Amino acid sequence: MFADVYAAQGSSFETLLDVARDFSPRIETCGRREVVLDLAGLTRLFGDAKTIADELRRTAADRGLRVRIAIAGTRTAARLLAHHRAGVTIVDAGNEAAALAALPLVLLARISHPNDPNDPNASNDPNDSNDPNDSNDLLTTLRRWGLRTLSDLAALPADEVAARLGQTGIAWQRLARGEDSAPLVPSVPEERFEQALDLEWPIEGLEPLSFVLARLMEPLSAHLERRDRGAAVLHVRLQLVKRDGVTREVHERSLQLPAPMRDARTLRTLALLDLESHPPSAAIDRVVVAVDPTPGRVIQFSLLTRPLPSPEQLSTLMARLTALMGEGRCGSAITVDSWQPGVFEMTSFTPRDSRDVNSAASVPRLAMRRFRFPVPARIRVEGGIPVRVIIDRRGLSGGKVEKYAGPWRTSGGWWMPVPPLSPIQPIPPNWDRDEWDVTLSDGATYRVFRERDTDAWFIEGVVD
Amino acid sequence: MANQALARLETALRDRKLDRTLTTALPVWERRDDSAAIATDVAALDACLRGGLPRGQLSEIVGPSSSGRTAIVLQTIAASTRRGEIAALVDTFDRLDVASAAAAGIDLERLLWMRGEAAGGSDAAVNRALKAVNLVLQAGGFGCVVLDLADVPPVALRRIPFTTWLRVQRIIEGSDTACVLIAAQPLARSARGLTLSLAGRVRWTGDADRSRHVAGADIDVRIVSPRRRFDGEVSVALITNDSHYNEPRRHGGHGAI
Repeated sequence: MFADVYAAQGSSFETLLDVARDFSPRIETCGRREVVLDLAGLTRLFGDAKTIADELRRTAADRGLRVRIAIAGTRTAARLLAHHRAGVTIVDAGNEAAALAALPLVLLARISHPNDPNDPNASNDPNDSNDPNDSNDLLTTLRRWGLRTLSDLAALPADEVAARLGQTGIAWQRLARGEDSAPLVPSVPEERFEQALDLEWPIEGLEPLSFVLARLMEPLSAHLERRDRGAAVLHVRLQLVKRDGVTREVHERSLQLPAPMRDARTLRTLALLDLESHPPSAAIDRVVVAVDPTPGRVIQFSLLTRPLPSPEQLSTLMARLTALMGEGRCGSAITVDSWQPGVFEMTSFTPRDSRDVNSAASVPRLAMRRFRFPVPARIRVEGGIPVRVIIDRRGLSGGKVEKYAGPWRTSGGWWMPVPPLSPIQPIPPNWDRDEWDVTLSDGATYRVFRERDTDAWFIEGVVD
Repeated sequence: MANQALARLETALRDRKLDRTLTTALPVWERRDDSAAIATDVAALDACLRGGLPRGQLSEIVGPSSSGRTAIVLQTIAASTRRGEIAALVDTFDRLDVASAAAAGIDLERLLWMRGEAAGGSDAAVNRALKAVNLVLQAGGFGCVVLDLADVPPVALRRIPFTTWLRVQRIIEGSDTACVLIAAQPLARSARGLTLSLAGRVRWTGDADRSRHVAGADIDVRIVSPRRRFDGEVSVALITNDSHYNEPRRHGGHGAI
């Protein structure tokens, strides 16, 4: 048996859900004003169908809801009856066809309309005379055929209906007969994936915290696994207690994970590595770990491509490397479409599948070893040509210029303001310089340039 | 002589279809299939190395500035990413030129680049780089892992304990990862890895001031291999990277003056 609870306009959807969940865990939402309950097994708790219906109505009224209730052997019959009749309607199992016989066809257009409970504008008010569903094409066709009630449509031969109206016609006819086209899909309440632990004694340092995190991550991981979910974002909230024992602060970190994951060890390691880089400022007396869930990953492995490290392995590796090398110093480089010398961007290292690789080999080319911060140099120029390079930095040998090429004048970005340079990308956006390639007496070949506005010389890199 | 005898023995085994049974039991550096070596994609060099640098071993590419070390390494990484593998470059002093890497054909999305910095001194930078290599090798899954120590002062290099290289060797032994070290002089002296000692000069073209430019480099590679199996010398010609010298002038963004 199924019960359809249909609330009046302006009712709170959340309250309606609460009422329904008080009676059965198996409920299905149909729009923001309608809920279908599976009553299987409830007679032992509440009594017969009428008692359940009365109880439902009273509970709803206590919470400020005016509802219509219909109980029938199928969900479709219950919904049609609730849409048509006010108050409580109860139909014994097997009598659905007779109960639905006199109902108007327009109800089919209303209940066959897909209802999104998240759509606040969704309306399936039976008293709404301006319901757009009334102007349904199929409904118009049926009316033109002279059909008025559900029994008229139910009585038609199914093959003839299919031949003239297709699958939609068949679906409508099944609805008119009160048959369910699909089983009830229970709505699962939104779950919070969160674990918290209050500590008797505040802890300091990451080592004791790692044990606490392990204890919190295990049940969280199991919870995610039960629901076939993965963590998209990991939130760690640490409540700190200051020396006076009264002042409380919250140290909160959120980790955006590159792929949904739920391995407890990986999550703990990532949280710890992040806290290593951003340690809490005081002792911790409460630890809360929460995740934003996302559907689990489905991976199709291939026999034909080389397997890549799993996202869990990669994210752990990247977290360790970032903690070691510094923020923004590990990842993949991206070339930038610009004339600006040495410009590039960094992005996270997320190698894609290797199906479209194996392009042809290229001819071996000379490369440049670029100084991220150009090295200042003193260059003796005779007749406009560099003849000797003197470098004060240890490890770089200067000397007499044996071969040279240049100058190549290049400039750009002069219209842009100069921002403070970051140590990770120390490339100014504007440049105006003359570049030279010089081979020194020791055989080393350098790319040097003269800044035209300051007349200062720099070594940009070594050809290698 | 011993090599010829070994080759004859392997041929005989293949004739009797016993080659897979026995050769897979051989150490990686004795095998001849693609999974045993990582190609450098420099044809002459790969022919001499019988496939490339051995997997599961620590190899070295050494030489002075402008000897083509970076070019050979970028070419090796490019070959690795072309095969669908992922590669890692531990760049001790942040010297990688991204344009050169792209021109070499590296799929940058498949290259994990760890950029060190000189802040804190050379010793600290080398320590960080060694730790990073350790982490990458232990994570596994990389086809080629390169540690660039080319610009590290000799004093700092001498402070690296020799056991470091034994530990690296121990981590990658039996794996599909080829670890490559770039330095000015041999450091690791791995028992089974190769040492490519490079010497070369940049080749110039054009006599007139306005037409002269770097055309490429001629590199002599001396190979030192375990048991002197592949020992020999090979010459490699590198061409210049167009994007550095030619393209900018064609497009007018740069201009010879």
